Amino acid sequence: MTGYQPHPWHLVEPSPWPLVGGSAAFTLTVGLVMWFHYNSISLMILGLVMIVATMIQWWRDVIREATFQGCHTSYVLSGLRRGMVLFIVSEVFFFLAFFWAFFHSSLAPTVELGVTWPPVGVHPLNAFAVPLLNTAVLLSSGVTVTWAHHALMEGKRTEAIQSLAITVMLGLYFTGLQAWEYYEAPFTIADSVYGSTFFVATGFHGLHVIIGSTFLMVCLGRQVFYHYTSSHHFGFEAAAWYWHFVDVVWLFLYVCIYWWGS
Amino acid sequence: MSDPEPGTYKVAEVKTAPFDARFPNTNQARYCWQGYIDFHRCTNIRGEDYEPCQYFKHVYRAMCPKSWSDMWDEQRESGTFAGRV
Repeated sequence: MTGYQPHPWHLVEPSPWPLVGGSAAFTLTVGLVMWFHYNSISLMILGLVMIVATMIQWWRDVIREATFQGCHTSYVLSGLRRGMVLFIVSEVFFFLAFFWAFFHSSLAPTVELGVTWPPVGVHPLNAFAVPLLNTAVLLSSGVTVTWAHHALMEGKRTEAIQSLAITVMLGLYFTGLQAWEYYEAPFTIADSVYGSTFFVATGFHGLHVIIGSTFLMVCLGRQVFYHYTSSHHFGFEAAAWYWHFVDVVWLFLYVCIYWWGS
Repeated sequence: MSDPEPGTYKVAEVKTAPFDARFPNTNQARYCWQGYIDFHRCTNIRGEDYEPCQYFKHVYRAMCPKSWSDMWDEQRESGTFAGRV
C-alpha cells in the first residue's frame, strides 16, 4: 500500500490463510473421523499441524499490518474491540452449556446415581486443597496482568515485561497443578455423569487457560520486541480481556463444581 | 367371603399407590425409587414378616416398571445397588 488513502479503513489484501485454514479445518475433521473409526492418528496430526501453521502465519500477518504498516487506525481498532467482545460473549455461552449440563444432572440426581450428588461411589476432589490454590493463582494472575497494563500505559517497559512474565508463569503454574490434579483424581471421565460434567467443563477451561497463556506469551514477546506503545497495544488488551474471562469462568467452576458439587 | 351368585363376576380389587405429596410431578420415577428403598429398609430393620412393610412393597410394585425392580434386585444381590437400604 502506497500513497494517499482517503479513508480510515483497513482494506485487507489477498491472503492464502482463509483458504489454507479452511483446508486445515477439513483435514482435521476427516482426521478426527479416521481416529475415531480406524484408530489412525496420522491425518489428525496433519490437520493439527496445518491449523497451527495457519494460526501462526495469519496472526504474524496481522501483527505486521498493525505494528509495521499502521493499518490499525482508531476506526479499525473499534471494529477489533467489538469483534473481541462478541467472541468472548460467544465463549460465555459455550461454557453456559456445560454449567447447564452440570446443574441438570446435579440438582435432581437420577435414581441411577442413588439420588445424591456426588453420585454413590464417586469421591470428589477436596475443594479446599489444590483447587483453592488454583483459585488464588488465577486471581493473582488477574492482578499481575492489570499491573502489566498500567506499566505499559505509563511507559514503564521493564516493569511491564516483568509483570507480564509473572502472569504467564502463574498461568503455566495453574496448568501444571490442574494436570497433576487430573492425574491424581480418583474418578475418570467415564465415571458416571459426575465424571463427564466435571472433566468436560474443567477440561475446556484448562484448554482456554492454555490458549490464554499462549496469547499472553505472544504479548510478552511483542513487548520485548518493542511492538507496543503506551497508547497502541490492543493485542495486549485483548489478551487481558480473554485472561479475565478465563479467570471468571474458573471462579464459577470452583464455586459450583468443586465446592458446592462436592 | 361367600361364593358369588351363579352368573355374576367377582372383580378382584386392584389399587394403585395413592398420591404422595413428596412426588407431585408427572414423572413418578422417584416415588417408585423411594418405595423400593423404604420397603427394603423396613424389612431389613423389622424383618420380612413385619406387616406394615408391605405398604411400601405395594407402592413400588405399583409405581415401578418391573424391569427396574428386577434390575435393582440383581444389583442388591451383587452389591452394586446405588441406594442405601
